[in-house]
Amino acid sequence: MTGDTHYDLEILAELAEGLLDVGTARQVREHLAVCDPCGELLADLAAVREVLAATPTPAMPMGVALRIDKALAAEAGRGGGVGLAEPPDWDELMRDAPWERPIEAPTRLGAEPVTPVEEPVHLGVVSDDGTIVPARRSRTRRRWAVPAVAAAAAAVVVGTAVVSTTLLAAGGDGPGAGSTGENRVAKPETPPKTYPRAPSYAMTNSGHNYSDHDLRQPLEGMFGYAQMVGGDSSDHANVDKCVSRVVSRSKLPTYAVDQGQYNGQDALIVASWKDKAAQTLRIDIVDPFNCKNLRKPALGRW
Amino acid sequence: MNSPPETPSAAERPAITDAELLTAHINGDPHAFSEIVKRHRDRMWAVALRTLGDPDEAADAVQDAFVSAYRKAATFRGEAAVTTWLHRIVVNACLDRMRRKSVRPVADDELIEAAERETPLPDHTVEREVSMEVSAALKLLPSDQRAALVLVDMMGYSVEDAAQVLQVPSGTVKSRCARGRAKLAPILSHLRNRTDLNRVSSAKGAELRDG
Repeated sequence: MTGDTHYDLEILAELAEGLLDVGTARQVREHLAVCDPCGELLADLAAVREVLAATPTPAMPMGVALRIDKALAAEAGRGGGVGLAEPPDWDELMRDAPWERPIEAPTRLGAEPVTPVEEPVHLGVVSDDGTIVPARRSRTRRRWAVPAVAAAAAAVVVGTAVVSTTLLAAGGDGPGAGSTGENRVAKPETPPKTYPRAPSYAMTNSGHNYSDHDLRQPLEGMFGYAQMVGGDSSDHANVDKCVSRVVSRSKLPTYAVDQGQYNGQDALIVASWKDKAAQTLRIDIVDPFNCKNLRKPALGRW
Repeated sequence: MNSPPETPSAAERPAITDAELLTAHINGDPHAFSEIVKRHRDRMWAVALRTLGDPDEAADAVQDAFVSAYRKAATFRGEAAVTTWLHRIVVNACLDRMRRKSVRPVADDELIEAAERETPLPDHTVEREVSMEVSAALKLLPSDQRAALVLVDMMGYSVEDAAQVLQVPSGTVKSRCARGRAKLAPILSHLRNRTDLNRVSSAKGAELRDG
């Protein structure tokens, strides 16, 4: 009680929680019926609950999630090396690999950055029904061929190495060579996984809920970390569809795609090279169903 | 209710419960625990961040908690939900941290400056201002009241669930909440007319969507 007539916030809060004994509760209610200032205080208390409930709870930042995964991996290593042991450093292992150099100076350009391919094809794309459509017949297959041609043109203009599996597989002698190359491209920390159909970008499925803040951080930590997704996934066709849409808008070579969320909504995070030398990327966030942008494309770093 | 929606991983694998994952982890499945972490990390992060009011401290606490849960998985008896158990470990890690660190009283403007540093976003949304004020105000409460209010009012858990997490009777949770709200009321009352937060955020969402 403050003074003889009014009640303090604590009593009122206890009343609201049903903590007062029956007699006291009745007294306070009778007072509230006639006292406006105390009624105001009670409304303030209700507002506290509303404000607290309405305060957004942020998703865990990717950096923290990675830290925890590392700590748990170390924990697994300590306990006998089950499963989660630290993966090899692929950058280091692949440093002097013979295919490292040619990639830096592009001699041939892969023309299929938008769709997965079963085998090396030049200047053609795989259409919906699985047939290979040569790019020169683009007028009859406008919907598919236009993005592909645009992407190839962009690659020439930018002069960036489009690291396509065509280039790599041509030098090797089987799917093994192709999949190793694919892993090098994505700088993953996981051992190579076989890639039945290797698209020209790395695809991951982190499930991470990205915020704008995360996307200003270097992306390598996020994309490079998540496990590669095999090419046989049924989502793959959907992802490809959206990636080709993004390519048609950005005219940039797609480098990596992560399946996750953006502010709690399912999203594909598509990273394309803006300037590879400067390690700058264009980041498109699209919804995985209609391939619509969920926010304005922005610049990011690898 | 302010708790995040179900994580996509839970939607993808609805057949596997948390308890089954934990059993798989105990039996040596190397991926089971990561799945548990993936499902619950956002919620655990929110609890720790709101309870401690400091992202660095919260990151340490959540990491400690998950590592501890990883080690202690075998001691989980299944009489409570896995989420309750995880929450308990996270909240205890937070309270532990607050006890160990002699909490120095901080001036209000200092708190706001600190919050500015934490999230150097260029866009000053109403949502963010409110969030900063709430963080600063929560720091003024004793840790037991803060923990109760974070679980009940912010995360939307029932008093009974919060009581299980905090391992105290429901009545104690209620009285901690009541005392905490009484302290916050004078500080936060000016936000009373701005509780159209949800509309603000969806308008922002629409703006983002339409580019």
